[in-house]
Amino acid sequence: MSITEIRNVSASASLDISNPADVEDLIPPDSSRSRLWIIRICSIVFTFGAWEILGRQVDPLFMSYPTAIAHAGVRLVQNGELFTALQSSLRSLVVSFGFAVVIGLALGLLIGRYRSVEAATDWIVNALYATPKVAILPLVILWFGLGDTAKIFIVSLLAVFPILINTISGVRNVPAQLIDVGNAFAAREDQIFRKIILPSAMPYMMTGIRLGIGRAIIGLVVAEFFTAMTGLGALIVKYGNQYDTASMFVPIILLSFIGVVTSSLVKWVEQRLAPWRYTEE
Amino acid sequence: MGAKIKLSVEDVSKTFRIRGGQNSEDTFLAVLRHVSFDVREGEIVSLIGESGCGKTTLLRIIQGLIRLDAGAVKVDGQTVTKPGPDRGFVFQQASLLPWRSARANVEFGLELQGVPAASRRDQAQKLLRLVGLETSGEQFPHQLSGGMQQRIGLARALAIDPSILLMDEPFSALDAQTREELQGELLRIQRETGKTIIFVTHDLDEAIYLSNRVFVLGAKPGRVKKIIDVPFTGIRPELPELRGDPRFQEIRAEMWNLIRKPVPLAA
Ligand SMILES: Nc1ncnc2c1ncn2[C@@H]1O[C@H](COP(=O)(O)OP(=O)(O)OP(=O)(O)O)[C@@H](O)[C@H]1O
Ligand SMILES: [Mg+2]
Repeated sequence: MSITEIRNVSASASLDISNPADVEDLIPPDSSRSRLWIIRICSIVFTFGAWEILGRQVDPLFMSYPTAIAHAGVRLVQNGELFTALQSSLRSLVVSFGFAVVIGLALGLLIGRYRSVEAATDWIVNALYATPKVAILPLVILWFGLGDTAKIFIVSLLAVFPILINTISGVRNVPAQLIDVGNAFAAREDQIFRKIILPSAMPYMMTGIRLGIGRAIIGLVVAEFFTAMTGLGALIVKYGNQYDTASMFVPIILLSFIGVVTSSLVKWVEQRLAPWRYTEE
Repeated sequence: MGAKIKLSVEDVSKTFRIRGGQNSEDTFLAVLRHVSFDVREGEIVSLIGESGCGKTTLLRIIQGLIRLDAGAVKVDGQTVTKPGPDRGFVFQQASLLPWRSARANVEFGLELQGVPAASRRDQAQKLLRLVGLETSGEQFPHQLSGGMQQRIGLARALAIDPSILLMDEPFSALDAQTREELQGELLRIQRETGKTIIFVTHDLDEAIYLSNRVFVLGAKPGRVKKIIDVPFTGIRPELPELRGDPRFQEIRAEMWNLIRKPVPLAA
């Protein structure tokens, strides 16, 4: 997906697509959409086929293969284990991510706009930003115990930074001419904030949210390894301990699925909110 | 054109402080010194002068975007220090808000004033018609050509119904044909609305074609070097025709000599 995206952007930036002569000459004939999809599907089939065949040769302790994982998946769905774990993980994820979004956006907007807020907070933001957050997990467990609170704290802490940093740079990158427009039309500070800074920084904020989701999922799994022993992370640990590698793959695949779905969802919202940034269509 | 004075700039001076680096002192740049002039109601005045002589600075001071060091700017005899609905600004790069449709851009100033949505819409529609874009209201800036964007920028400034329009090289980024088209439109709109216009340009022909008077600014520091009366009255012929007029050529030559960098004479 990313390869085609880059290709489209560079193509539309550098040449006039409406001129068929240019397009014929400069875009190689094998890059048509359907052809790329055929290549992609072949690659998927080949990879899974090879995994299936090679996976069967290896000791099932070290590696599993697609059909075995599918069987394990069916079993985990039927006994309800997967659903319970998913529910617990999603609940923590939604709550902590909600905190991260609210704090990251609000603080980012204020730090980006007001020098005094920046001065009051930049030292701690920088210090925490530079710290590998999982390193303080033992401390967090000391503070909050092994319950959900510790989990929510660590996930929020991991997810808040991409949101915060991107929001700050969104506010800093509001073109000065647009602020000028607000001033020239006698806008009050709150109007400049709502009608110029907020919409202009919106795409950055959405990027931050998209990156934050990835961090949140990492944080969630790590926290579930070490704390309450619930959720998808706990399921991974459980089947790891039982040397049931096929079952262990089920929550892993589900997690990557959640990651893909949520970030494409945010990307979709992003394009709806900032259509002027996506002019290819 | 009434003889009433709409805008007066009285003895305005402006010096910028330029912050020095770690080891250097701050320096000061005198950009405007003792600039004074009056603009009459319904008049179009052009400001010309070499690059960096302070035209934009002067326009931004009149708008109230930059503070002046000394002197005063008066609209209808009242001193103004902040932007207000009596002055509308048209920017060089149209500077439309990219997330707003053309219509919503035109409505921007009214929205800030708290005008209700329905009357905002009516007013925007009227202005879109005035600038010839009544069918493009739902398009976004990136879908509009440079000339169309500039028309929307003009409509946005007119929407708050200011009595004075300040325009900073609004047509300089356009191709020659679009520029002439918009110059004609601006004259028509000025006739219909009676606005007082201050127009910054580098284009001498444009200055003569549009204005009743041309103010030639000198540089370092900026000051009014000369005020030139443009002798054409009433509805003007098209610019190409006007260019053939000997009076046009005479003023143009005079302006050219005034803004040209003085050539050092050989000893
Ligand atoms: N905010 C500022 N701080 C410091 N110096 C400034 C600032 N704004 C303008 N200047 C300086 O003031 C001088 C006049 O600038 P101004 O933009 O008014 O010129 P101008 O006549 O509009 O030029 P141009 O024709 O190129 O647009 C320039 O030397 C510029 O560098
Ligand atoms: Mg300028």
